[in-house]
Amino acid sequence: MMHSLIQLSIVVLLLPLLSFVLLIFLNRRLPRSGDFLAVGILGATFAVSAWIFWEVVVVSYDPSFKLSWSFNWIDFGDVPGVGPLQIKMGIMIDNLTAVMLAMVSLISFLVHVYSTGYMAGDKYYGRYFAYLGIFTFSMLGIVLSDNLFSIYIFWELVGLSSYLLIGFFFEKQSAADAQKKAFLTNRVGDIGMWLGILILYSQFHTFGYEEIYQHIKAGDFRMSQAWLTAAGVLLFMGCVGKSAQFPLHVWLPDAMEGPTPVSALIHAATMVAAGVYFVARIFVILTVDALHVIAFIGAVTAFMAATIAITQHDIKRVLAYSTVSQLGYMVLGLGVGAYSAALFHLLTHAFFKACLFLGSGAIIHAMHHEQDMRWMGGLWKKMPWTFATFTLATLALAGLPLTSGFMSKDAILAGALGFAEVEGGGIYYLIPVLGFFSALLTAFYMGRQIWLVFFGKSRAHLKPADEHHGHDSHGHHEAHEVPWAMRMPLVILAALSVFAVFSPDPLDGAKGWFMHLVQTPGTVVAADMSHTGVNVHHEAGAVIEKGIHKEVTAHHVPETEHGEEHGKHYGPVYDDPRQAAIAHAAHENHDLAIMYSSIVVALGIGLALVVYAFGFISPEKTAQRIRPLYLYSFNKWYWDEIYDATVIKGSLFLSKLFAWFDTNIVDGIVNGVGALVRRFGTSTGRFDNYAVDGLVNFTAFFVQSSGAAMKKLQTGKVQTYLVMVLVAVTGYVVYYFVQLMS
Amino acid sequence: MDFFNTIGLNHYLVISAILFGLGLFAIVTRKNAIVVLMGVELILNAANINLLAFSKYNGGMEGVMFGLFVIVLAAAEAAIALAIVINMYKTFNTVDVSSVDSMKE
Repeated sequence: MMHSLIQLSIVVLLLPLLSFVLLIFLNRRLPRSGDFLAVGILGATFAVSAWIFWEVVVVSYDPSFKLSWSFNWIDFGDVPGVGPLQIKMGIMIDNLTAVMLAMVSLISFLVHVYSTGYMAGDKYYGRYFAYLGIFTFSMLGIVLSDNLFSIYIFWELVGLSSYLLIGFFFEKQSAADAQKKAFLTNRVGDIGMWLGILILYSQFHTFGYEEIYQHIKAGDFRMSQAWLTAAGVLLFMGCVGKSAQFPLHVWLPDAMEGPTPVSALIHAATMVAAGVYFVARIFVILTVDALHVIAFIGAVTAFMAATIAITQHDIKRVLAYSTVSQLGYMVLGLGVGAYSAALFHLLTHAFFKACLFLGSGAIIHAMHHEQDMRWMGGLWKKMPWTFATFTLATLALAGLPLTSGFMSKDAILAGALGFAEVEGGGIYYLIPVLGFFSALLTAFYMGRQIWLVFFGKSRAHLKPADEHHGHDSHGHHEAHEVPWAMRMPLVILAALSVFAVFSPDPLDGAKGWFMHLVQTPGTVVAADMSHTGVNVHHEAGAVIEKGIHKEVTAHHVPETEHGEEHGKHYGPVYDDPRQAAIAHAAHENHDLAIMYSSIVVALGIGLALVVYAFGFISPEKTAQRIRPLYLYSFNKWYWDEIYDATVIKGSLFLSKLFAWFDTNIVDGIVNGVGALVRRFGTSTGRFDNYAVDGLVNFTAFFVQSSGAAMKKLQTGKVQTYLVMVLVAVTGYVVYYFVQLMS
Repeated sequence: MDFFNTIGLNHYLVISAILFGLGLFAIVTRKNAIVVLMGVELILNAANINLLAFSKYNGGMEGVMFGLFVIVLAAAEAAIALAIVINMYKTFNTVDVSSVDSMKE
């Protein structure tokens, strides 16, 4: 008998699939294309998820909570050359899963509600909801999976649904291009991920997370540590693709071609966070080297995307780059070992970024499909609800105190500082420095966006006439507030961006329920001696101190005492000295991080106000003055061009080369053999035609012509015959006599 | 010169050959079927002369016997041949052998 929560989670998983199946087949036959069905089913999904959330998070409130259930899905028996091959399917519920379930189903439900307003009147209205259903199903599958194999299946399914939804307006060439780009870029990451899965499978003959952890902990990994690092980095490649990390980030900004609610659901809140979620799932098997790679990739991504976001004009593109940047933060957080902080940021970011995207959707809707911020302005009076919610979410994204984003970002940055300290400074300080710098840029570009969109005077009339497109026959209508179906999700999401939802202390997320429930698991990889100087083959797995979560304001404890007290009062106790050291250092740096990040956020917002609100510095002139830098940012670091010049041109060149080889060498051989056979055939044919047929025809001709000649002798006159006989006999006689005489 | 003074076997043979030649000539050249028959009779008689001449100079009676046979045969032949000629006339309405060539091709 399954645990009732497992049964509930199966219901949660299957409900969106039901929505998909019903809508994809019946949407033309149902009234309103069946949107009420989709919304209703998603409402039920959210209700059941909320129930699970309640049971796991509120009722149990236990950091070590874990439930799992699995069954043999496919049993291949003993496969020669591979060994026993069983593929299991299963469900695992822990605190993170419960939170993710609630988050995904809530945002998905809100996006469904919002879409009934946003997508109203679309040609493929019903199909849109069907796609949302299959997406939600696959995303919940990722969250609930208990093994690498099933997560890979759902991983590809979210990739598919993302592909379908990016190209939802497939009649537009740019949308069709964007969906292809997204799919192919993800494919690069997914191949790495699959190879990583295979490395682990080849060692342990299992896909299950828990079994893999146990095997590694027991030291069953027979190859060198480098292979484990390779496996970790390869698995991380899946995250690089899906979470749009450098250098595979290029697809996410283009994915904004999809409908805006889809951008909110898939390309901001849930699917792109799946990569981070996946890295969290494999976190314990990552070696120190793999973690370093992850940390640097995250830092570079966060910084790069933030610099690009500054100069973009398209409201959704700014948000897209900000998403890439924030995902970079999460990955950075995982890389530096700030596990709970990274996942906390995933959760907070999901709410405020979904709010921002839905808000931008409301703006775009109100502006009649205008997305360029240069032609907006002065919207706050016309759309007060959107303005209020959008601003609140912006503050959370920028990381202002009293918001959820402040707590999570601050925790990550504290982790990064602690990490740099433990790793011994030097280049490792690059990570927190990039992190803080990105925080400054984030505050700046979000301030810029708010100002350009909501304040000042409307600049819609400034738009050059030749940039007008199809919709603009009614483009000069006044912007108006959006209907309640679209307003309600904004309000809910904005409310979820307030600190109080997550923690009683606005300055310290670690006091909240999330950081208590989702704690850094102890690594199962043997400690790397070069980093710690301690040779420990530890019994890994965090020994979690249950129930101890005292309200110790650790910042006020003097430095020395605090170090000793640390383990008792603050989070889990680590057997791994490196993890323990980082957690300790992160905690010590918490105040520092708060200070720094408040300063940079204030700086960023102040700069945005100085430039855009007060006009002390003209953005155009500044752009002119630092034109190369401006262009570098505006052209997105030229990544598209670089990929075009290397990967795309390269593969085109390769394919041309192969095509040439194919047409000239392979086809040449085939055609040569063909020509040879044909020539041989021609000559035997000729022999047949002329020699053999000639002989036959000649025989016939001879017979015919001699017959024709002979038939003239047959006159039918008896006397002629007689003369012939006479001549013959006479001839014979003469001949006889001549013989006789000679 | 003996040839002109005494009559011997050769004289008979020459007469016979001449008669044979005339008969053959008649068969080949004449158009009238009756005349062709007469040519056949001439040839038979030429053969008869040969038979009788050889019989006389050989001293036996076999030649005479053959001669009698030939006469009987000639009579039978004439009867049949005339019947053929009558039929031919009935069929083609002519006794001209050169115009009867329906065996051609």
